[in-house]
Amino acid sequence: MSKKRLHTPEGVRDIYGLEYLQKLSVQEKLHKKITEYGYQDIQTPTLEFFDVFSKQVGTVSSKELYKLFDKEGNTLVLRPDFTPSIARCAAKYFMEESIPIRLSYLGNTYLNTSELQGKLKEVTEIGAELIGDDTAQADAEMIALAIESLLSAGLVNFQVSLGEIDFFKGLCEEAGLSCETELALKDFISNKNHFGAQELLEEEKIKEEYILAILKVTDMFGSVEALSEAKSYVKNDRSLHAIERLLTVYEILSFYGVEQYVSFDLGMLSKYNYYTGVIFKVYTYGIGDAIVKGGRYDSLLTQFGKEAPSIGFMIIVDDLLSALSRQGILPKPQMANALLLYEQANLAQAVSLAHDYRKSGKQMTIIQKSNGKNIQDYLIFAKKQNISFVSEYISSDKIEIYHIELDQSYQITQNQLLEGIV
Amino acid sequence: MTMMDDKQYLTFALGKGRLAKDTMALFEKIGITCEEMKDKDSRKLIFVNEELKLKFFLSKGPDVPTYVEYGAADIGVVGKDTILEEDRRVYEVLDLGYGKCRMCVCGPAKSKELLEHHEMIRVATKYPHIAKDYFYNKKHQTVDIIKLNGSVELGPLVGLADVIVDIVETGSTLRENGLEVLEEICPLSARMIVNQVSMKMESDRIKKIIHDLKQYL
Repeated sequence: MSKKRLHTPEGVRDIYGLEYLQKLSVQEKLHKKITEYGYQDIQTPTLEFFDVFSKQVGTVSSKELYKLFDKEGNTLVLRPDFTPSIARCAAKYFMEESIPIRLSYLGNTYLNTSELQGKLKEVTEIGAELIGDDTAQADAEMIALAIESLLSAGLVNFQVSLGEIDFFKGLCEEAGLSCETELALKDFISNKNHFGAQELLEEEKIKEEYILAILKVTDMFGSVEALSEAKSYVKNDRSLHAIERLLTVYEILSFYGVEQYVSFDLGMLSKYNYYTGVIFKVYTYGIGDAIVKGGRYDSLLTQFGKEAPSIGFMIIVDDLLSALSRQGILPKPQMANALLLYEQANLAQAVSLAHDYRKSGKQMTIIQKSNGKNIQDYLIFAKKQNISFVSEYISSDKIEIYHIELDQSYQITQNQLLEGIV
Repeated sequence: MTMMDDKQYLTFALGKGRLAKDTMALFEKIGITCEEMKDKDSRKLIFVNEELKLKFFLSKGPDVPTYVEYGAADIGVVGKDTILEEDRRVYEVLDLGYGKCRMCVCGPAKSKELLEHHEMIRVATKYPHIAKDYFYNKKHQTVDIIKLNGSVELGPLVGLADVIVDIVETGSTLRENGLEVLEEICPLSARMIVNQVSMKMESDRIKKIIHDLKQYL
């Protein structure tokens, strides 16, 4: 007999049983919150043309994309990120719309990242995009929605880092950095590698006052005071506007009552080059990277032919679940499933009983008792399957109940079972 | 808001050996100590300073960035070579200045010529990632990388490779075996790395450590 290969490829996995139940329940809570804000669901294909994620768009690097070819020889990719897909959709279906559009998505993304680093290549993301709105109100709505979504999923200890890309860009302009230096500097700054940044700037013979300013302000993270301090180090309009914007957003966040979750990080940048203004990330214990990433992308839709400044965010559902689980606050899904055992002679009665039981929206599995299996075997099975109680059909007046959670057994009648006595 | 009432432990992962010793000596200057670690006979894997709520453990160098990336340790101290080779998502916050050495391309003097053209050559190294990045992206030379796990100098001597990419401290091992430094890739030293989430969630404590250490560098 040949051995079948049962394991999945590296970086992807099966999710089933209790774990999947928990994932679905968390997804549902997040989705409910996003829907409450009036975001409409949209489904885009897993496969897209390569162009949607090309270098100009500024998403993940090409070597991290899963690529394949269609019959005509076009290069297709498995989406690594939803935002460009949603931007493409918005340009296609809402070209003439001038009032902001709110869209939300839920699905899997694929990244061909390095082997053996313990990172998943397929993760579930849920997110929201607010298209055609360049106001600070839009920024605040997105951040508040991200916070409320996490709270609704049961996360308590987390921190939103809020930054502004334009602040850094304005600084680089003021200091007269070349494009290449700016890119290299961005790497150092986002890794909080300030001695690396200093070395680079000194090599490039940048004026000392700018070096000091760049190093000082990108190292500032914290409360509103950090922002006002940062203000004193810059003179250019772009950076000053960025700070004003952050202050306005912060004020609106206080109307939502969520400002206590937010701190500022002017050195926060993103590897996605399509971000243009406000960006934010959410961090929590138990996960080494941000579980929420979001930001403003005012020129992304232009690449698809529509002028629409926009902002969005996404939550990595799998990472949120790991965080909840490591913090020991993963909600226990309610066990509502029932199992009905019957002897072959009682098949008709069992089918009809289960039919009536399910009418009220409750779940019931029916299994014919097999020879050689005793009730203990079924109880062990039920426990593994998250079934709350096992019932055994003896007659319409006599149903034996084995309650798993309470660890009790007793007898009731068929009518009592249907009335929900258990 | 995000700080829990009872203070959480800050955990340090240190690369085994001299690096750990030098690091603890530096930490002592800023008041971070761990008496448990000084006990040579101890078989403990994790050392605790209850008073300051600190934990320390020693691990193989290349594992330090891994522990830090996943938040198993909040802070790590490790050589720049490891950081470059492992390429993990961590913040690199301080150059501690000790453990200074260089990453170099080495080989017999006659191999120097092989580096002048874009010819295909064989490179033996413990650092395939760094070697690849250097030859492909900086020198635009096609190379065949042979990963070895120790005594890399043997490579050119037994005809396995044309050159090696390795750490050079004094160069005495090279000289004794008729090899020399052909090109320097980058300078190296001990670095302090920090988990991205810890930097946000425990920013006050970590910033203070960074600030205090800077006074002694």
